[in-house]
Amino acid sequence: MNSEDPIYRVRDLRHSYNSHPVLEIPELEIDKSSIVGLMGPNGSGKSTFLRMLGFIDTPSAGEILYKGKPEKPFSPAVLSHVSLLPQKPYLMKRSVWKNILYGLQLRKQIETPEQRASEALHRVGLDPAQFGHRHWHELSGGETQRVALAARLALRPEVLLLDEPTAGVDAANIQRIKEIALEARAEWGTTIVIASHDLQWLHEVCDLVFHIFKGRIFGSGHESIVFGPWFPGKGNLWEKPVPGHQPLVVSKPPHEHAVAVFPRESLKIAMEEKTGQEGLHCMEGTVSRMTLEKNSGRILTAVRTGSVLMTIPLTEADIRNLHLYPGRTVPLHYDPLAVRWM
Amino acid sequence: MSENLFDRLLERKKDATKTGTEPFAMQYFLEGFLKAFQLLLSRDPETFSAIYATLRVSAYSMLASLSMGIPAGFLLGYTEFPGKKRIRLVVDTLMALPTVFIGLMVYAFLSRKGPMGDMEILFTLPGIAIGQTLLALPIVIALTATAVENMDTDLRTTLISLGADRRQLFFSSLWESRFGILAAAINAYGRVTTEVGISMMVGGNIKWHTRTVTTAIALETNKGMFEMGIALGLILISIAFAVNISLSFLRKR
Repeated sequence: MNSEDPIYRVRDLRHSYNSHPVLEIPELEIDKSSIVGLMGPNGSGKSTFLRMLGFIDTPSAGEILYKGKPEKPFSPAVLSHVSLLPQKPYLMKRSVWKNILYGLQLRKQIETPEQRASEALHRVGLDPAQFGHRHWHELSGGETQRVALAARLALRPEVLLLDEPTAGVDAANIQRIKEIALEARAEWGTTIVIASHDLQWLHEVCDLVFHIFKGRIFGSGHESIVFGPWFPGKGNLWEKPVPGHQPLVVSKPPHEHAVAVFPRESLKIAMEEKTGQEGLHCMEGTVSRMTLEKNSGRILTAVRTGSVLMTIPLTEADIRNLHLYPGRTVPLHYDPLAVRWM
Repeated sequence: MSENLFDRLLERKKDATKTGTEPFAMQYFLEGFLKAFQLLLSRDPETFSAIYATLRVSAYSMLASLSMGIPAGFLLGYTEFPGKKRIRLVVDTLMALPTVFIGLMVYAFLSRKGPMGDMEILFTLPGIAIGQTLLALPIVIALTATAVENMDTDLRTTLISLGADRRQLFFSSLWESRFGILAAAINAYGRVTTEVGISMMVGGNIKWHTRTVTTAIALETNKGMFEMGIALGLILISIAFAVNISLSFLRKR
């Protein structure tokens, strides 16, 4: 692997189940030791993509280069170096201790597997003396997930893939997962890919967040997505009715159930009247959430109008000048012709 | 106790008709229960011979059916190949094979004029074991395949994620499905120890040789010795109970 090679390079990846396409990623690169988020609704292809990255399943077409070389499931370069934690963690029908030792014992060169296992349990906040000898059926759902995570951390993997790690997990443990991810990267240079539908949490943890929708990855996760159906409006424009508000106006969709993607630069919050200028339309919305983006220092400001949620990255100065705070009603300006369709 | 229970009950029936009280049906079971204890405590040689024959023949047939059925069932459940569904259908149907039919077929093969007549194992325990193996095999295969098919799909993901190669994946999956396979074995053992048709037709119910507990029950019932039949039935249940207890260490919890 050259030092410039990304840890993953995906080329023309396509995957289908029973000739129904579920994944189509022409190109994607993930840098070594980065923490990358995959944001998307259920059924968007997140889990399928993670299984490909984890070399559990083979894609129908295309290839995944790992450290610059195309790899397949079970190849020595990825086996026990790339580890996936599925959404429903599975523990083998044996004690907690033996579950964690399983992977360590497969990798024969590890000299002190017991010490590694014990350290991994401490990392996930479980006392080895108290939990080590428990059986798989004597654990709560949260404990099962932590044991499964510990089994992977014990391997000190080069890549750790987490599928919905925060689903059904309490606030304290969501925070813990974030710390574990950052520690793993800092200590072992682990690359981490996290699939989740919790955009706010992803932005707190990840260097980069990709949106995945209907098996396609697009942009850096700062686009706003609006679902149809769309109805013909004035002129060439179409619209989505928003009860209690003005309709959302868009360019002509390819079909009435198409999904509209608003790039970040097509959205603006401005207090002065801009409607009519530059072809911009205006919609009133309420600031519903403000999240600090980890690397850029920008504040992702979510504005909600009925069921439509738009996210706009703003600087601290913007926030101050506009006097923005959650709950404030603001005019949101957007360009209907800048919409991309999926 | 040597007196025929049936006659005694008839006697009691006459008494009951005179006095206006009906005989108590539970009497059969009580007598049978006491008789079972008596047979076991006195080490009744005839009873022990039947128990021994049952244990021996079922050990043979279980050994054969498990050693063939577990690998076959595991492969059937674990792998994907064309025609898999059809094979499953055939195996599932064979689970319902009537024991008398298996007995008849094995009898035909093992009898002197049959294709395997030279082996001279008709009316022997190995002969019965062949029939019982045919009885147990579809059960072991089908239930093992079901256990393997019902394994959590995340098991495969987990094992690969922890670094298992193909061989380790296979053996770890087999070990993970052990409770289902155990259930298959216990189910098959239950069928084998309780069947009458094969033992009767292939074994011939020869006293001291091929008389098993079930054929003894059939004989005693024909003779009207209900209490003896019930006693032997209770002994058979005790055997099944003992087998289940000794395997309970393998159970989930």
